[in-house]
Amino acid sequence: MTVALAVVLVGGGSLLLRVLPLLGAARIPDRVTVHAGRAGMAVLAATTVRTVVQHRDSSLAGASVTAPVLAALAVGVGLWLAYRGRSLLVAVAAGLASYLTLAAVLAART
Amino acid sequence: MSALRTASGRTVAVARPAALLDRDAAAGVRAMLPLLVAYAPFALMVGAAVAASDNPLAAWLSTWTIYAGAAHLVTLDVLAQGSGWVAAAVAGLLVQTRLSAYSTSMAPDWATATLSQRLLAGVLLTDAPWALTRARETGRRGFYLGAGLTLFVAWPAMVTVGALSGDVLSGDPAAALVPALVLGCTVATQLRHRPVLVASAAAGLSAVVTAPVSAGVALVAAAVAGTAGGMLADLATRGSLPGTVAS
Repeated sequence: MTVALAVVLVGGGSLLLRVLPLLGAARIPDRVTVHAGRAGMAVLAATTVRTVVQHRDSSLAGASVTAPVLAALAVGVGLWLAYRGRSLLVAVAAGLASYLTLAAVLAART
Repeated sequence: MSALRTASGRTVAVARPAALLDRDAAAGVRAMLPLLVAYAPFALMVGAAVAASDNPLAAWLSTWTIYAGAAHLVTLDVLAQGSGWVAAAVAGLLVQTRLSAYSTSMAPDWATATLSQRLLAGVLLTDAPWALTRARETGRRGFYLGAGLTLFVAWPAMVTVGALSGDVLSGDPAAALVPALVLGCTVATQLRHRPVLVASAAAGLSAVVTAPVSAGVALVAAAVAGTAGGMLADLATRGSLPGTVAS
C-alpha cells in the first residue's frame, strides 16, 4: 500500500510539473522561459557532476578516491568530444571506453 | 514549426507544413535511437528496483507517470529503507521539480499548439528529448515529438525487461556512469553560449558542495545556482537581463 501511495503521488505530481507550464504557455514571459532553460541545463550539468563525485568501484584500489577521479577523466573525454561536435553516441562510447581502459590498467598495476 | 517574432517582440512558433513536420519527427526518432542503447543499462537497473519493491505492479505501472529513472529509483530506495510513503514521495518529487523548468522553457515553441498537442508534449517530457531539442534551431515541435515518442515507447519496455531479468547490472560501475555521460554530453554541445557555460559551471560547483545531501535538494540548489550564474553572465556581457531592452 505504501508503495502504491508513494508512486501515485510522485507520478501524479510529475505529470502536473510537466503539463501545467505548457498549458499556460502563452502567458509565460520570454524572460522566464530563458531562465527556465538555463535552470534545466544547470540541473543536467549538476546530475553529471554528482554522479562522478559519488561514483564508487569496488574493483579499484583506494576506490573512494580513485573511482571518482577515474570517472571524472572518462566523463571529461566524452564531454570534450561532444563539445568538439562529435555525435552523442561517439562521445558516450569514448567516455565509457576510457573508463574501462583506465580501470583495467589500474587493476593490472595493483 | 518556425520561429516568428510578433509585434510585441515575443517569439512564438508558427505551424510548419505536414511534410516538414514529418521530416522533423523522423530526425527526432533518429537522434533518440542511439541514446536508447546508452539508456538501456539504467532502465535495467530501474526494472530491477521495481521487481524488488514490495508492490512490483504499482512500481511498474508508475513507469509511465514518473517516467524518469532517477526519481523512480529515489522513490523506491526511500521506501526500501523503511522511511515511509510521505518521505518517498517528497524525495521523488524534489528530483522531478526540474521538469517544471524544462516545461516552462518549452513555452515559446508550444504557445500556438492545440491543447491536445501541449498535453502530449507534457506527457512525453523528460531529460533526453528536452536536451536534444534544445540544440535545434528549427522544427523543434516535430523533432521533440519524434524523440519523445521513441523514448516513451522504449523506456517502459526496457524497464519491463529489467524487472523480468532481475538485478544483472546494478553492480557494474561503468554502466552506472552512462546516463550521466549522456546528459553531460547534451549539455556540452551547448557550452559555446556563455550564459549556459556559466550556469553549468555554477551548477557543477553546487553539485560538488551538495554531494552529501539528498538528490532532490542538491538538484534544486543546482538549478538556483545555475539560474543565478546565467543571469550574472547576461549582466556581464550585455549589461541587461534577457528579455529586457538595453538602454
